[in-house]
Amino acid sequence: MTASCYITFPTTFFAIRAESILKKQLCSYKMVPVHRVISSSCGTALRCECDNIEEIKFILLENNVELEGFYKLKEEGLKTPVIIPLAIDDWEAGEK
Amino acid sequence: MTTGLNLYFDNAATSWPKPEAVYRAPERQMREFSGNPGRSGHTHTLKADRLIYRTREAVGQLFNIHDPSRIVFALNATDALNIAIKGFLNQGDHVLFSALDHNSVLRPLGRLKHDGIIETTMIPSSKEGLLDLEQLENLYRPNTKLMIINHASNVTGTIAPLKKMIASAHGKGVRVLVDAAQTAGAIPIDVYAEDIDMLAFTGHKGLLGPTGTGGLYVRKGIDLKSYREGGTGSKSESDIHPETMPERLEAGTLNSAGLAGLLEGIIFILETGINNIRRTENTTRTKICNRLVDLKRVKLYGPQTENDHTVAVISFTINDTDCGEIGYILENTYGILCRTGLHCAPFAHQAIGTFPQGTIRLSPGFFTTDQDLDYLIKALKEIIDLVS
Repeated sequence: MTASCYITFPTTFFAIRAESILKKQLCSYKMVPVHRVISSSCGTALRCECDNIEEIKFILLENNVELEGFYKLKEEGLKTPVIIPLAIDDWEAGEK
Repeated sequence: MTTGLNLYFDNAATSWPKPEAVYRAPERQMREFSGNPGRSGHTHTLKADRLIYRTREAVGQLFNIHDPSRIVFALNATDALNIAIKGFLNQGDHVLFSALDHNSVLRPLGRLKHDGIIETTMIPSSKEGLLDLEQLENLYRPNTKLMIINHASNVTGTIAPLKKMIASAHGKGVRVLVDAAQTAGAIPIDVYAEDIDMLAFTGHKGLLGPTGTGGLYVRKGIDLKSYREGGTGSKSESDIHPETMPERLEAGTLNSAGLAGLLEGIIFILETGINNIRRTENTTRTKICNRLVDLKRVKLYGPQTENDHTVAVISFTINDTDCGEIGYILENTYGILCRTGLHCAPFAHQAIGTFPQGTIRLSPGFFTTDQDLDYLIKALKEIIDLVS
């Protein structure tokens, strides 16, 4: 079983804005379709190593990217993954 | 056309020619990554998403808009003005507009007024196409909520004194909507420095993009009602349209192919430099005006000499000769394309004294050459001799 983390966005605009900002950083991430078991905000999510999620969150909020939610996915082959919403305080853009 | 020539003096209607990349980009977008932006997350969609995002950023760079999420794409300036006017105004509001406004402003206002929703007052214009700002201070009412500023007239080319008008409006707590149909891409616009609340622009004129493109900037803190709701690709489980900008005002699939062309048009402007474009077009305008003034029986309207208060739009008449007839001869004998008649701005024509016959309008562009001007003036001289 492997684990990775997802960040979802309220709109595609913010998903692409996130990508555009992270491109300039030394972050490892990938833009992926939102997994169907996550209540979809927009169709694109950011997938990253869970160790990096705090840093990515910080960069995105610093750049006024609105974020919808954080998730941890435990995957095993093609089985439906186990999805755990992450409670990360102060994640809403503009409220920091 | 008998001449085989195709000299284009109708850039105020739509610009032509376009930079080569503007022609190529829509085809490439449709052939190579025609995904529906915002829907699903596959490669084609992501490429389309990135294209839309880059176009939004380019618009932001051109107009100094710091937050590109406040830019929504629309069909053209008319569409953007409708989104702003109908999304901003409420029952009982009063609106200031001007005699220089285009039907893209007059008609949405006219509809709301006719339906008993709003009241309107027109800022008058002089015969030269200059707004009477002395009267402006007396036109506000307690329920005035919006002033619409025609940034540059599509009849006389006159540029409005934006800063003065916006300062006046903001001094009264009135929001400002700027119609930049004739100025976007033609003169520098800085929404931050000029304190603009809403800016409506089209993509196919000064921005050198394809038709079917344009947009609206909406300052943070202004929440427009959307007059259309529908698919956005986000929050699909809800039957209530998302309120987050820009999707709030962008229901339905965007014109990705057109926006690919618009992006290239804006890149051309940014690389060329808006001040270089402005200087070139103003020089061309001045050359035409100076030579028209010397022609017998020609009457010019609006500011006629070299100045910084006009865009490259020139209106004139030749005696009482029907403008349409002159336009017909210009095209069919000389291969020169221009616009004649009323230019969708009836009050502007009333102000300058050309209602209802209209004017002959020449609008050169960045690509107009001195040879084009020589040929145009030669043609007009011959036509004047012919109709005299």
